Amino acid sequence: MPKKLLISIVFILTLLTGWGGSTHFTTANAATDNSLTKIQKKGTLVMGTSPDYPPYEFQATVHGKTKIVGMDVAVGQKIAKDLGVKLKVKSMSFDSLLVALQTGKVDMVISGMNPTPARKKNVDFTHLYYQGGYSIVINKSDKGIYQDKDSFTGKTLGAQTGSTMYTESKKQTSNTKVKGMTSVSDLILALQNHKIAGVAMEKPSAQAYVANNKQLAMIPSHFNLSADDTVAAVAFKKGSTALVNKVNHSVDQIKNQDLVNKTYLPAAGKYLKTNTVNTSMWHYWKAFLTGVEYTLIITVCATFFGFILGVILSLARMLQGNPLKTAIRWLATAYVEFIRGTPMMVQVMFVYFGLGLIVNLPALTSGIIAIALNSGAYVAEYIRGGINSVDAGQTEAARSLGMSSGATMRYVILPQAIKNIWPSLGNEFITLIKDSSIVSIIGVSELIFQSNIVRSDTYRGVAPIAVIMVLYFIMTFTASRILNHFERKMQHD
Amino acid sequence: MTKPIIEVQNLAKSFGKNAVLKDITEQVDPGQVIVVIGPSGGGKSTFLRCLNLLETPTSGHVAFNGEDLTTLDTKRVNELREEMGMVFQSFNLFPNMTVLENIKLAPMKVKGLSDAQATQRAHELLQQVNLDDHADAFPTSLSGGQAQRVAIARALAMDPKVMLFDEPTSALDPEMVGEVLNVMQELANQGMTMVVVTHEMGFAKSVADRIWFMADGFIQENSTPADFFAHPKTERAQDFLSKILL
Ligand SMILES: Nc1ncnc2c1ncn2[C@@H]1O[C@H](COP(=O)(O)OP(=O)(O)O)[C@@H](O)[C@H]1O
Ligand SMILES: [Mg+2]
Repeated sequence: MPKKLLISIVFILTLLTGWGGSTHFTTANAATDNSLTKIQKKGTLVMGTSPDYPPYEFQATVHGKTKIVGMDVAVGQKIAKDLGVKLKVKSMSFDSLLVALQTGKVDMVISGMNPTPARKKNVDFTHLYYQGGYSIVINKSDKGIYQDKDSFTGKTLGAQTGSTMYTESKKQTSNTKVKGMTSVSDLILALQNHKIAGVAMEKPSAQAYVANNKQLAMIPSHFNLSADDTVAAVAFKKGSTALVNKVNHSVDQIKNQDLVNKTYLPAAGKYLKTNTVNTSMWHYWKAFLTGVEYTLIITVCATFFGFILGVILSLARMLQGNPLKTAIRWLATAYVEFIRGTPMMVQVMFVYFGLGLIVNLPALTSGIIAIALNSGAYVAEYIRGGINSVDAGQTEAARSLGMSSGATMRYVILPQAIKNIWPSLGNEFITLIKDSSIVSIIGVSELIFQSNIVRSDTYRGVAPIAVIMVLYFIMTFTASRILNHFERKMQHD
Repeated sequence: MTKPIIEVQNLAKSFGKNAVLKDITEQVDPGQVIVVIGPSGGGKSTFLRCLNLLETPTSGHVAFNGEDLTTLDTKRVNELREEMGMVFQSFNLFPNMTVLENIKLAPMKVKGLSDAQATQRAHELLQQVNLDDHADAFPTSLSGGQAQRVAIARALAMDPKVMLFDEPTSALDPEMVGEVLNVMQELANQGMTMVVVTHEMGFAKSVADRIWFMADGFIQENSTPADFFAHPKTERAQDFLSKILL
């Protein structure tokens, strides 16, 4: 579902901004293909990937620092090196990768991606750098019950949403339910809880999971696949012919010299080992700390800017008089209604991908902007209510002393209104601590995002969730204590 | 002849279909104390609020010192409001500020006085209304009489030329009425121009230069207190007096 949503959003954005469209692509192809020179001039190549798919790409803790590693990263490094530029790896959910490519958030996507015909319509692919196969991971205790894809009659098979496996599992099995989830570690967890009977995934991934978890086993899938379906290629923005041609040299080398099997996979395997030696949650305290940090940064910044926006909006909503003022009031009202009537998740994606077409904003900034824009609409309503609850006599007294309407608002009404709205503002802050998790979809390393990474790193499904639950509670509880303290203090005077 | 400080010409004010003020033409000379009396709902508050444009007249003119407020821009109206202090029935002190801060706010924010200047002036005024020992109290801890005296001091802090009082003692317990009226009497003695809406007939008799009797949207009578209380001319006024003097 999210994938469909994203595609439609991109479609709408494309229409809105007049960016893209087939005419643009053809002209880009024919005349102005500066894709290669652009990258070389920039000096960096931004690679988008979804690091929850070991050994293709995953997070590893190296010398106390988390970084994205895996065979795809090695492929990316080779490509960058051959182009003479620096590689920058950006992580996001698999579903968001192609959108990010089309909206220029990343220059290329390497994420174990199959160059399917549908994808080829939207992006350009290089030659293949890897040809694997598919396996099915099952519980070791079920070994002997299942032989291949055809053994799952009446059972449920899991696959990563949006992946080739997902579509093929649906097509090539009968009487088997196919369950899609965004992350492979969730699927493994579901498998271990016997919610599903098997997980279809690429062979190297299956090997990694089985090697790291003694309760798992793998069986061949025997999916009937065309060559295209079992392979991975690098994706570039549509119309980047020059760049793709150049990169194909690197890709061909990788393929001809079998670099993936000989060098990249063994190297990735080593990371996997160091990664899974210690799967205690303590070992990952830094990852969680980063999550807490980002969650707090987002919440505090969004609350701050949301408050300012809320004040402006609430004042705008009280304007009366000439047509200009009426128009501003109408706009502010429309804004508040619109924001309150659309999901925050869509707003976050709109800011990141949509605004991203005009200015290239980092995910964190986009997340803060989106949440502040959202929060402002709610805060505006709290403030308006707070202002209306101040006795009209206060305004009259201030005006009779010669104070302008602005000074009256600022020095007399707002200070009293704040007292009334403080509790709602506090609630809003606490809500934002929790709701800021929504920016994980655009790859901001806040708490939920970090916990997902820890989950795929450790192959432990529940423990990280329990940890962040406690962390969220500590944050909200502390915040509400602090806010209560100030509330009591304010009631005193 | 001195120039009038307030001139009201053919003033009318309606709220929707409710014509509260119909046609009022009067004037106030510098140093005069006008007491406006009349039945409740007769438009006295509305009239007073039209004088400093807290209420916008439907038609007619209100001039202060020769400047027609109804034709001025907001900025100038704000400036002229500084010259007309107003005291309300319900005090309308700022509850989130101390007594001292209540008084200092407008002089500092509007007149641009320094904190020290404003503080000094505030203390002088608090002494004038006998409340300097309450400078740091919050309004909620004051009695009604004290609160109203603070409100008067707050209005005086802008050094107004005219003071408007809208039933300043109506919300007070009877034993506190005196302390507020005394402050007002003193102000009058010092030569302050005042327009006072009140039901305190004793105050009207002893302090007022003129009584304006207001009913049904008109000033029905404009006379000296002696004349008004001894020989009310209109039936409306006779009726009113017979009711309250009983
Ligand atoms: N803001 C307002 N909106 C509508 N009607 C009002 C408003 N203010 C006063 N009135 C009406 O005007 C009339 C006169 O009120 P007011 O001036 O308060 O009389 P008074 O002070 O003599 O008792 C009343 O009928 C009152 O309901
Ligand atoms: Mg009244």
